[in-house]
Amino acid sequence: MALEIVSDSSITSITTRQGSSAQSLDISSSKPSNSSILTRIHAGYFSIALSLAAQALLWKILSEPKIANNASKHERDVLSLLPHIIFLLLWWFALLAQVSLSLLYVLRCFFHFHLVKAEFLNHVAVNYLYTPWISLLLLLQAAPESVHHAFGIISFTVLYWVFAVPVLILDVKIYGQWFTTQKRFLSIFANPSSQISVIGNFVVTRAAAHMGWKEGAIGMFSLGMVHYMVLFITLYQHLSSSSRFPTILRPSLFLFFAAPSMGSLAWNSITGAFDVTCKMLFFLALFLFISLACRPVLFKKAMRKFNVAWWAYSFTTTFLALAALRYAQEVKAEVAVVLQLALTSLSLLVSLVLMVLTAAKVNRLLHEDDPLMNFINNSKSKTSALPKVEETVNGQK
Amino acid sequence: MDQAKQNSLEETPWLLHFIPSNDVEGFNNQSQQSEDKTLNSSAMVAGTAEVQSQNRESHQRKDSAFISMPSSPFRSDEVKTPKRVAFNLKEKEFGTMISDSTVKGIPVYAKSHSEPVPKGFVEGTVENINFTQHQSLDSSYRDRSFDSFKTWSGKLERQLTNLRGGRPPETGPEEKTKKSEKETSLPVDRYFDALEGPELDTLRASEQIVLPEDKTWPFLLRFPVSSFGMCLGVSSQAILWKTLATSESTKFLHITPLINLVLWFIAVALVIVIFSIYLMKVLFYFEAVRREYYHPVRVNFFFAPWIALLFLALGVPSSITNNLPVVLWYVLMTPIFCFELKIYGQWMSGGQRRLSKVANPSNHLSIVGNFVGALLGASVGLKEGPLFFFAVGLAHYIVLFVTLYQRLPTNETLPKELHPVFFLFVAAPSVASMAWARLQGSFDYGARIPYFICLFLYFSLAVRINFFRGFKFSLAWWAYTFPMTGAAIATIRYSNEVTNVVSQTLAVTLASISSLVVSALLVTTMVHAFVLRDLFLNDIAIAISDKRPKQHHHTHTRWLHNLRQGISDHKDIEIFLKFSPEAKEAEASADPPSNENKV
Repeated sequence: MALEIVSDSSITSITTRQGSSAQSLDISSSKPSNSSILTRIHAGYFSIALSLAAQALLWKILSEPKIANNASKHERDVLSLLPHIIFLLLWWFALLAQVSLSLLYVLRCFFHFHLVKAEFLNHVAVNYLYTPWISLLLLLQAAPESVHHAFGIISFTVLYWVFAVPVLILDVKIYGQWFTTQKRFLSIFANPSSQISVIGNFVVTRAAAHMGWKEGAIGMFSLGMVHYMVLFITLYQHLSSSSRFPTILRPSLFLFFAAPSMGSLAWNSITGAFDVTCKMLFFLALFLFISLACRPVLFKKAMRKFNVAWWAYSFTTTFLALAALRYAQEVKAEVAVVLQLALTSLSLLVSLVLMVLTAAKVNRLLHEDDPLMNFINNSKSKTSALPKVEETVNGQK
Repeated sequence: MDQAKQNSLEETPWLLHFIPSNDVEGFNNQSQQSEDKTLNSSAMVAGTAEVQSQNRESHQRKDSAFISMPSSPFRSDEVKTPKRVAFNLKEKEFGTMISDSTVKGIPVYAKSHSEPVPKGFVEGTVENINFTQHQSLDSSYRDRSFDSFKTWSGKLERQLTNLRGGRPPETGPEEKTKKSEKETSLPVDRYFDALEGPELDTLRASEQIVLPEDKTWPFLLRFPVSSFGMCLGVSSQAILWKTLATSESTKFLHITPLINLVLWFIAVALVIVIFSIYLMKVLFYFEAVRREYYHPVRVNFFFAPWIALLFLALGVPSSITNNLPVVLWYVLMTPIFCFELKIYGQWMSGGQRRLSKVANPSNHLSIVGNFVGALLGASVGLKEGPLFFFAVGLAHYIVLFVTLYQRLPTNETLPKELHPVFFLFVAAPSVASMAWARLQGSFDYGARIPYFICLFLYFSLAVRINFFRGFKFSLAWWAYTFPMTGAAIATIRYSNEVTNVVSQTLAVTLASISSLVVSALLVTTMVHAFVLRDLFLNDIAIAISDKRPKQHHHTHTRWLHNLRQGISDHKDIEIFLKFSPEAKEAEASADPPSNENKV
């Protein structure tokens, strides 16, 4: 058994409260050479697929021919040809990523169910269980025309339902815990990743609206909105400071502005027009984005080593860019167009960089333990108050 | 290290009596050599310094103050700021000296040098010696006790003296004295530890301050940023009388627009005056401004100048102009935007200034700016910009509102008794309702809901008027009048939409209440300023030391201190609730169980 020193900030004492990374000894238990891809892929890896799907959606909207345009039809076709190709490429790539990750995760459920259970019980990792469904819904939404034709509307609706129901089940479990259970106070367990659940609700809202089911859309929206308000307030209060949230997951602070931007898109899909509520949510998202962008110091510690949490940068900025796109379409002012261009290019750049980095470090991703898993194990051992570390995963190099 | 000490000694002006440490029995000699060096260099002090040679019997009485050397001169890290001297046991030796001091108005700080001062205890350094202009001596020697707060260590003053043709000041060594004083920012915990009271401006009994307490500080140092509240109060009155004169529902009162004109000009004058005074404070005493900025209550008052300017723009009489330039809005909103990026970002990113720790009713001032800006923007015809600020303000207002209502146990700054600061609760919804009404064009539901919330809060505070007694008057009270005025203006707008007897009566009532309160406040301010002469007291809140003085019974406060610093587990909250805040007053010697936060 190898002794592994893991940089992990989850174990803190009162003095290292401010999130400084503490060294923790990760003594492997009696699980010798069982570490494989299956033990390392956790739900957070689906953010890769999510980001790709979001990018595909962005490119789809970008490649749509503009309606009121003075250019001739031919020019318009040419102009939209390149984005269309990129969109198709992205969509198929995203589909591929999603399918392969899903397969791996299903295998993991079969062979290492205890690990999946550990994820489910951890207050940070459970939110990442929403990500596969969100990316599936986005993929459906971003599907190209050819796929639409091939599958027909009925199967699409069925698929929407199939992907929305797990979100609802997770909602019932997680939101129900917030106000019923004694042991899991929201004030203690709220963390920035909880906003993924809110995003999930808003994405289901959009799906329902696209399917034509207005009432369901409004229902899901109000559900998401109410819990978003509660969560927003709790997170801002920082009652539990940052002691229970690992520094390595700081990129998920970007979720602060992903949630309202997705909310504005959701309300937009309900009402059809980008009205005042949508604008207010979008402005809130914009303000939070500027506020976070002015504080690079927050992210310094998380940027030391590449890990899958970095993909949170991609889909969050893509959501913001999508909202900015809709805003610019509604308000045809120069400022809005400039803003939209800036945000879109930012999200493209970020996604591109992340794709390159992932490709370069795919070994690291697949063969090393992700810090999130270590965090799960460590906090599990901490809360169970047992002196020994329970089954951990030891990455053998 | 020696250099710093050397410098601090050198800037000792005249009338200094040096007793070397080895001559005094019982003195804790730590290093002979540097002592000699310091003595040698102090011999270089200019002019009329009476450097006595090292004999003890020269404790003679002169017509000047005797100051002896501090006992532990080698703590150069403490040399930074002038600290108050503590009298020690052997002082009666020097008692005759002190009482013999015939110099008027010179407080003598003598220090026994019989034992070393424990670290953390405020020690007297030579900077403590302060002199007013003694008549019999040259008046060119400045008071140096406030140098640590001065920008550029008083260099500017020396240059000004030079320019005015005064005596050329001492050159050289003293310029280097204060460079070590650029201390890092005070952590917010220091403010909570050292201060108490609803505005966090009263010093706790166990604390000490770095500036001399019994001396009146320079006026600029005594001018707090909360004086901008006066601008807020007066300019909101101008808006009120403008609304009264121009609204449909109050036309029956036949208010002349002249009142608005007069009030507006007064407000402009007041704004100019206070702005310039504070600007001088920024120029001359930047350190004091920094400390105000780090104060958890005072930081919100940094929004007040810009809100006052917005009020001025809103209340501009129609005889002057009817249409404001749009660029004015952008110019006025930029400082607000920058400030709120900083403050809200502090809330969001956690750390020592997170909301659960620093939330207090004055935070409403940082929220109201958004709504006032939205109102002004809508008045000049913009749509998107005002909506931006409205959305941001609304989101953060909800957070603040919930936090304050919760009265979290981790929150120290909420006053247990009611204080006029609670009227700030009324401010945000009233201005929000007006802003929404202006954005939408009519006083619709989105405007009525915050308006009714504002009314409810107003009444629930007004019926508790008994609990507002017994507070020390402060200039910040002016800031608490503008919510009342805001509520009155919102009521007038509401009565424009829903015109009936009830709403009109309410409008008139609220308007008269707010005007009465402002006039009463004006009278009180005049009384305090000219009769009682205690309007601008020494601003203790900015002079707290950056280290806590050693306490005997500090175990429980340290426990509380740690607890406040990091409620990192729900167990901590339970423990905190078990040991209620009264425990910290009890000075219990028994240590609370130390399981508190060792995870």
